[in-house]
Amino acid sequence: MAIQPQFYLLLSAGVFCAGLFGVLTRSNALMFLMSVELMLNAANINFVAFSFYYGNVTGQVFSLFVMGLAAAEVAVGIGIILVLYRNFGDIDVTGPVTMRR
Amino acid sequence: MAVFDYAPAIAVLPLAAFALALFGGRYLPKRGAIAGIAATGGSLVLSLWMLVTIALGADPHQQTLYTFVAGADGVASVDLSFGIFIDQLSALMLVIVSLISLLVHVFSLGYMNDEGETGLPRYYAGLGLFTFSMLAFVFSDNLLMSFMFFELVGLCSFLLIGFWFRDDAPSSAAKKAFLVTRFGDYFFLIGVVAVFATFGTTAFVGEESFIAMAEHAMPGSEAAVPGVVSDWLGVVGLSASQWFTVVGLLVLGGVIGKSAQFPLHTWLPDAMEGPTPVSALIHAATMVAAGVYLVARMYGFYALSPTALGIIALVGGFTALFAATMALVKQELKQVLAYSTISQYGYMMLALGGGGYVAAVFHLTTHAAFKALLFLGAGSVIIAMHHNENMWDMGGLKDRMPVTYATFLAGSLALAGVFPFAGFWSKDEVLFETLVHGLGSTGGTLLLLGYAFGLLAVVFTALYTFRMVFLTFHGDARTDTAEDPEPVRWNVKLPLAVLGVLATVVGVINLGAVKKIIGESNLFLHEWLFHGAEGLNGEHYEELLHDFAGYTAAELPGGPLAPAAVSLGLALVGVGLAYRLYGGADPDPHMLKLGSVRTTLMNNYYLDEFQVWLAMSVTAPVARVADTFDQGIVDGVVNGISSVSLLSGDRFREIQTGIVTNYAALLTLGLTLLVLVFALAGGWF
Amino acid sequence: MVLVEGLIGVTLVSAFAVIFAPDRYAGKLATGLSLIPLAGSLFMYANFAGSGNALLGGDLAYETTVTWFEVGGYGLNWHVGVDGISLPLLVLTTILTTLALVSSWTPIDDRESQFYGLMLLLEVALIGVFTALDFFLWFVFWEGVLIPMYFLIGVWGGPRRKYAAIKFLVYTNVASLIMFIGLFALVFGLGDSLTSLDIPAIAQGVRGGELGALAGVQPETLKLGAFLAMFAGFAVKVPVVPFHTWLPDAHVEAPTPVSVVLAGVLLKMGTYALLRFNFTMLADVARDLALPIAAIGVLSVIYGAMLALAQRDLKRVVAYSSISSMGYVVLGLVAFTPHGMGGATFQMISHGLISGLMFMAVGVIYNASHTRMVGDMSGMADRMPWTVGIFVAAAFGYMGLPLMSGFAAEVLVFIGSFQSTVIPFATVLTALAMFGIVVVAGYLLWAMQRTLFGSYSLETDYEVGRAPVHDVAPLAVLLVLVITLGVAPDLFYAMIQDAVDPLLGGGV
Repeated sequence: MAIQPQFYLLLSAGVFCAGLFGVLTRSNALMFLMSVELMLNAANINFVAFSFYYGNVTGQVFSLFVMGLAAAEVAVGIGIILVLYRNFGDIDVTGPVTMRR
Repeated sequence: MAVFDYAPAIAVLPLAAFALALFGGRYLPKRGAIAGIAATGGSLVLSLWMLVTIALGADPHQQTLYTFVAGADGVASVDLSFGIFIDQLSALMLVIVSLISLLVHVFSLGYMNDEGETGLPRYYAGLGLFTFSMLAFVFSDNLLMSFMFFELVGLCSFLLIGFWFRDDAPSSAAKKAFLVTRFGDYFFLIGVVAVFATFGTTAFVGEESFIAMAEHAMPGSEAAVPGVVSDWLGVVGLSASQWFTVVGLLVLGGVIGKSAQFPLHTWLPDAMEGPTPVSALIHAATMVAAGVYLVARMYGFYALSPTALGIIALVGGFTALFAATMALVKQELKQVLAYSTISQYGYMMLALGGGGYVAAVFHLTTHAAFKALLFLGAGSVIIAMHHNENMWDMGGLKDRMPVTYATFLAGSLALAGVFPFAGFWSKDEVLFETLVHGLGSTGGTLLLLGYAFGLLAVVFTALYTFRMVFLTFHGDARTDTAEDPEPVRWNVKLPLAVLGVLATVVGVINLGAVKKIIGESNLFLHEWLFHGAEGLNGEHYEELLHDFAGYTAAELPGGPLAPAAVSLGLALVGVGLAYRLYGGADPDPHMLKLGSVRTTLMNNYYLDEFQVWLAMSVTAPVARVADTFDQGIVDGVVNGISSVSLLSGDRFREIQTGIVTNYAALLTLGLTLLVLVFALAGGWF
Repeated sequence: MVLVEGLIGVTLVSAFAVIFAPDRYAGKLATGLSLIPLAGSLFMYANFAGSGNALLGGDLAYETTVTWFEVGGYGLNWHVGVDGISLPLLVLTTILTTLALVSSWTPIDDRESQFYGLMLLLEVALIGVFTALDFFLWFVFWEGVLIPMYFLIGVWGGPRRKYAAIKFLVYTNVASLIMFIGLFALVFGLGDSLTSLDIPAIAQGVRGGELGALAGVQPETLKLGAFLAMFAGFAVKVPVVPFHTWLPDAHVEAPTPVSVVLAGVLLKMGTYALLRFNFTMLADVARDLALPIAAIGVLSVIYGAMLALAQRDLKRVVAYSSISSMGYVVLGLVAFTPHGMGGATFQMISHGLISGLMFMAVGVIYNASHTRMVGDMSGMADRMPWTVGIFVAAAFGYMGLPLMSGFAAEVLVFIGSFQSTVIPFATVLTALAMFGIVVVAGYLLWAMQRTLFGSYSLETDYEVGRAPVHDVAPLAVLLVLVITLGVAPDLFYAMIQDAVDPLLGGGV
């Protein structure tokens, strides 16, 4: 007996909300990055769940793509955080607002 | 007709002289004067040839020379063209213009070259262009061409009046001359455009001319009304006579401007700032004569409208008197002459309005001779007086400059209208024609009023003329310069002599006052003008005047002799008065006794002030208000819109805090809202 | 024939060649290269064999149609060609550009190669505007004019150049947008009957009554809306009162040669487009709205002239009088008579030459005296006789002196509008507009008397001598052209009449 898809959706929504909560409340850039990863993986859960449900592997392929993309994004993100630290001595994202205008 | 093939050269020769003087004047003998003399001499010879050819019985000649806008096929399209029309009237005028211009060129040798003026090529170029424009104006065969050269005449007057541009007064006077006449030309141009719109042509000559078409369109005419005219009258919603009166009065605007009639006469006295030979040219033969000539040219059109004629007569009569009063008090020689010009052109207008077509042309002719003479004589005096024009600084010049005195006196007698000088005959004819038509016509009150003005002006004319003569030439010399005037040479005396003879005898062409004695057929000018082109001769005009304007000549018991005696008597009264007041060895400035009247006259009835006030205190503030309105309101709205968008952009920019968390919150909020909206709209709940 | 492509291509290549040329040679090089399009346009004029109106199935000269690509069901074509209306404007463009380039030699002494390159780019776009017959192509050139103009004013202009440049760009761009919406309303209204953005096709479709309802809007309302949108858009470019305020600012700040092209050619884009779009495509709406349009024309004439009367800066005087002169064009166009529309088109050419001449003359005096203010100088005639002589002649040309092109143009417009049966109260409105010839004489004579005549004096610390020959030569050339066209208007007027005539016919 397979697990009903709505449970996957609930799990994915929960993970996504956790990620969103992190993005909205944290000011540490690393925490930011992790929260974004959570949101991405929430999407991945959906991909895999529906792929399983419909018996179509396209969704699983997509989730692999998203993982690869996430890895690349982390690499860029860490790079940005390093530069941020070098220039501002801190990785607080609310601090640097000089690009505002 | 081979003779008429040379007609365009009459105008082209002075144009060539203009180009020569302008571009090569520096290298020419006498700085271009010789070229000008040769060209105007050639024009004179050709003009005389035309005159003689016509006198020997040739038909008037009309020829289209050049079409500069060929109308496309289609509705209400017209050709715009240049053409020549040589008939009795234009041939006479061509002779007058080229003769005066030739003499002015010769005189300029003495007045400009001998005085060591600089910029002479420009001067002779201006004279050449002036002569060209006027000659082309005279022989134009259509109203548009007339208007174009009328305007060019205005340009030339601007250039020549402002010849001494380094001084303020001449350049200001030049501006005024152009602007005031431009104001008149504005109405003229509307008139030209209206003629185009009404008739589809502006030709003067032939059955297809606007003059002939206007006659046919009049109620009571036997010919069929041309379709284009009746169509147009339907558009404007006026009757033929009403609309022709309107058009005639519009064209009259230009005439009033150029011929310096009240109230647009103010430019002319100021124009005395130009060199004196130019004044002679402007006053005797070119610019001022253009207006009167134009009315004479299209007299067949005016003869259809008694209202227009009445206004012409009234304006003319009033101007004649009005200007004469101002001439009474002026102290500068040329100022007196300037006002006398205005006054004399008033007489011509009076004659035209009073049905005296021949009289007007006659007075135009004699006036050209004696006014050119007087101006050149004044120029001679001015040379002698080292360019001091105040008559009170002169006196006793008659013994020291006998040629000038003799000729000037002949001109003055002609101007004053003393028998048997030229002016007597023509002025008498003007007054006589006005009187008989005023008495004989039903609506002749305006004419009689004009006649009264004109008659009164005779006294004033004689008075100011001989005041001028006595102050300048008689009595004791009042300054050192007058004691020992600079001598003038042949080039001054020759034109004076020629004109002096003419001013004395030219009246012989139309001895109207004694026509009972010598017989009608010996009124040469009368005969001449009565045998013009079909529909454009004095005889036809008389019929038109009678049929459409209701003009009938009254039969006076004594014929023309009694009115002539009256005007001669009045002129002699004026001369006598002048002798009584200023004839002594050391005359008193009697005019000072007039007190505030004199001040008003000296200030030209404050009309100049009024026009300056119109320009400076009405137009300029209105322009400034418009400018403020434009910068403040119109541009303000434009800048306001830009400010509003910039300002709102500034406000909206506040949302961009630069803090990533806020953007994320906004994103989430937006997404939630969208989901909510779609959910509600999609009926999920 | 590939003449039009040749003109555009050669000028474009010249522009880039000049941009990369050293500053020292840029002016002479640009002038020399600009002689090629000039010669080309004169060759086109000499061999012109077209007839009729380009938009109404007339016989076009030098026509090319190549399908470029398709988008959204509409073929975008490279469609160029000239008729009797556009050819005179094309000749005007090439002549004025060359003369403007010569007149830049003295005043432009900074980043010359870029300046001259941009001037040539401007010429490319202007040639395109007057030859393109596909709306897409035409719009590219129309907008393309703005870019070089923006930089020419913004980089080489006077003290307030940035303000003027941005105002010019934003104002005319917003106007273009409104116009664009108006035209596309027609394009979509024509629906499937239209397979390309070809301007003649649109014009013939609209005039042929193929316009359908669009989004519930009836064809008549659609036409009215499109007319108003396009009129507003082009009115800014002309400019007519009250959309004129960018013009004086742009003129005052722009360097002289740029003013020459701005007044001489750019303003004509507005009236050219009005003639092509509003008065050809939507002629019936124009006839219905004749009274307000004629009133706007008369208002422009009088109001512009009154404003010119209040100015002290010679360039502002000429700028405002341009507004006044362009009012005659609007009045003539709406008359729908042969001489009204023909005269208005001729007035575009004539005003292009005369206003260019006036700006150049003011520029030559400015080069020497470094002031343009009436009251800061007087008696310039004493020091620069030939320049002042031409200035006076030009001013009289502006006043509409006979035998100069301005008179021919104005009198034709007056005759045309006076006898118009389309405009209500045509006689009164024309008479009012004609009063402009008095006011123009008033302010030009006043300005001349104050600056050129009287005794010599100058407020600035410069020594004024005779102007160099290359400053005066373009003036003399223009004056000769003005007089030539005044004596022989039919050089252009014949072909203009031929092209305008189909607009007057019945049907719509």
